[in-house]
Amino acid sequence: MTQEQTAVDGDWHRVHPASPFVRGWVALVAIVYFFGRDTFERALQGRGNIGDNFNERTPWLLAGGGVVLLLALGSFVLSWYFTRYQLAEGYVRVNTGFLFKQQRQARLDRVQAIDIVQPLLARIFGLAELKFEVADAGHSAVRLSYLRLAQAKQLRATILGRAAGIADGSETVEVPEAPEQVVLYLPPGRLVGSLILSEQSFFIVLSAIASVLVSVLTESRAFILYLIPAILGLGTAYWRSFNTGYNFTAAISPDGIRLRYGLLDTRAQTVPPGRIQALKVTQPPLWRILGWYRIHVNVAGYGEHHRSEGEHRTMLLPVGRKPEVMMMLSLVLPDPGTADPERVFTAGLTGLDSGAGFVTTPKRAWILSPLGWRRNGFLSTDTALLLRSGRLWRKLVMVPHQRTQSIALRQGPLARLFGVADLVLHTTPGPVAPRLIQAATEEAVSLFDQQAARARKARKLQSSEQWLAQLPPAAMPAPPTTHAMQHSPTQEEPDHG
Amino acid sequence: MHTAAIDPPGIQWLRVSPKYVTVRLVEWAIGNVIMVGLFSLPLLFVELGWWRWPSLWLAVTVPAALLLLALWRLVLIPRQVRAIGYAERDDDLLIRRGIFFQRTMVVPYGRMQYVDVAVGPVERLLGLCTLKLHTASAGTNAHLPGLPAAEGARLREQLSARGEARLAGL
Repeated sequence: MTQEQTAVDGDWHRVHPASPFVRGWVALVAIVYFFGRDTFERALQGRGNIGDNFNERTPWLLAGGGVVLLLALGSFVLSWYFTRYQLAEGYVRVNTGFLFKQQRQARLDRVQAIDIVQPLLARIFGLAELKFEVADAGHSAVRLSYLRLAQAKQLRATILGRAAGIADGSETVEVPEAPEQVVLYLPPGRLVGSLILSEQSFFIVLSAIASVLVSVLTESRAFILYLIPAILGLGTAYWRSFNTGYNFTAAISPDGIRLRYGLLDTRAQTVPPGRIQALKVTQPPLWRILGWYRIHVNVAGYGEHHRSEGEHRTMLLPVGRKPEVMMMLSLVLPDPGTADPERVFTAGLTGLDSGAGFVTTPKRAWILSPLGWRRNGFLSTDTALLLRSGRLWRKLVMVPHQRTQSIALRQGPLARLFGVADLVLHTTPGPVAPRLIQAATEEAVSLFDQQAARARKARKLQSSEQWLAQLPPAAMPAPPTTHAMQHSPTQEEPDHG
Repeated sequence: MHTAAIDPPGIQWLRVSPKYVTVRLVEWAIGNVIMVGLFSLPLLFVELGWWRWPSLWLAVTVPAALLLLALWRLVLIPRQVRAIGYAERDDDLLIRRGIFFQRTMVVPYGRMQYVDVAVGPVERLLGLCTLKLHTASAGTNAHLPGLPAAEGARLREQLSARGEARLAGL
């Protein structure tokens, strides 16, 4: 097996032989435990395996266990043998299964995002899973598990290179890993702080006070006992957030935005330029004290399906101050389409009324949202539409014009009474649902018309899915901070474990 | 026809076939007759003396309220059908619907992933069809019911051709 040298030609390759074991180790442990328990217990109790009741179940159990184990191992080997992948003619193809065969293929130029995932055990063995998202919600991810880490990175570079249009599909030369520069690192202290100040904690404190009051009033201690499972559940939730948010690093490269995070299980996401369909910046009330924000994005293919996983994958910035938010915004939208992006985005994040050109809910409709009417508003720059809302839970949504799918204008009887209407922008499935609420009818209608025209214009300018091929090499999209980009693969995944 | 306040100015709306009212009536009848019938059962049982629990006034009020609601919706159907409209523009398709809760939607041709034509049993009898547009967004819930079959086929071909010509990536 000379996989490493030939990983990118048109041949069929197999994944790493250890893959099924890394994936199915739980099954193996379960089998051994189930059939071997009796024997272990005897051994622990100092009795011999061949004890007083030799003819009873122990040997049968061991033999049965052996057979099941062999079957499991056999199926592992078979599944490894029949799992093959190929990268050729602009497609990546993966064949799996020996009884029920499945062939899955995905177009390289439709790649929306590539993840390299390393669960703990895979990390120990230096293996990694490559996940390849195409533009289809949820289920169509092509996944290769597991490859050696270096090989996975190489494959990722090749796929991105071909998808970007810089490497011809017919070549067999390896595409070098794109250089990248780290632009953001999240210190663990701030992650902990963000968890402590999250909404979740707010409700915990609230319910803790309530339960203490209840137990004092009813003078029963038993009530506390009911809280134990709740505390355990919350503990796991916090742990999961900490585990996935740990070491969050954002970097930029010509391949797009790279995000890496994770304490035990690590994940490195690459989102090519222009693949972010919509973005939202939110600020829970408690975060206002420290001026923190977080950013979620919609990327086609991430979808909403696998909830707990998707939640973290769509996080562009788990917690950050305003300068970091501005930087991430500039990465997502290199051309903000306005002369003074700082002022515009600041008004979007924290502003009220018509500062920086935002158009808000008319005063006549204040009763529909007594708190938020001064904040609900929109602003259209040359490249994106900004929608802001929320007085307590501040929110700013940004949709690039060329990513708009379809637009709907809605008006119910009450809204009609106050002469306001809602504008809904449809985007790929994800955590961001752009909606302009309670805009004056005439403004909403004209925005509806203009937005359709802007989206049309923006789509015409964007000529190709291959983001590097459409530009002359000299004009590679270099986000603001990358002028001093080194041409060596620096700062690639530090070798954990 | 009237154009509502949220419609973009200067649009010449095309209406769906008036025969679509029949389809809606059949749907209405199936849904509401069953519903009202079901909720009238307690009344029947109470009258027959089989049941004691729902007191007579409750057994009367619930189906009566449902009946009123159903009749109200029946009255609305023709107007709702008249409120459905579509307009083909150079680069996008506009669809509107609704009287109380109005919605006007624009779907760019270049964003359409595929176009479905669906025909139900009642629609088939009347020679109608329903056109469904799909984009990469699940939120695009664009269907255009009650089109005459020929118009549906024409629109499908037209939309597919225009979509092909203007197809953009995501």
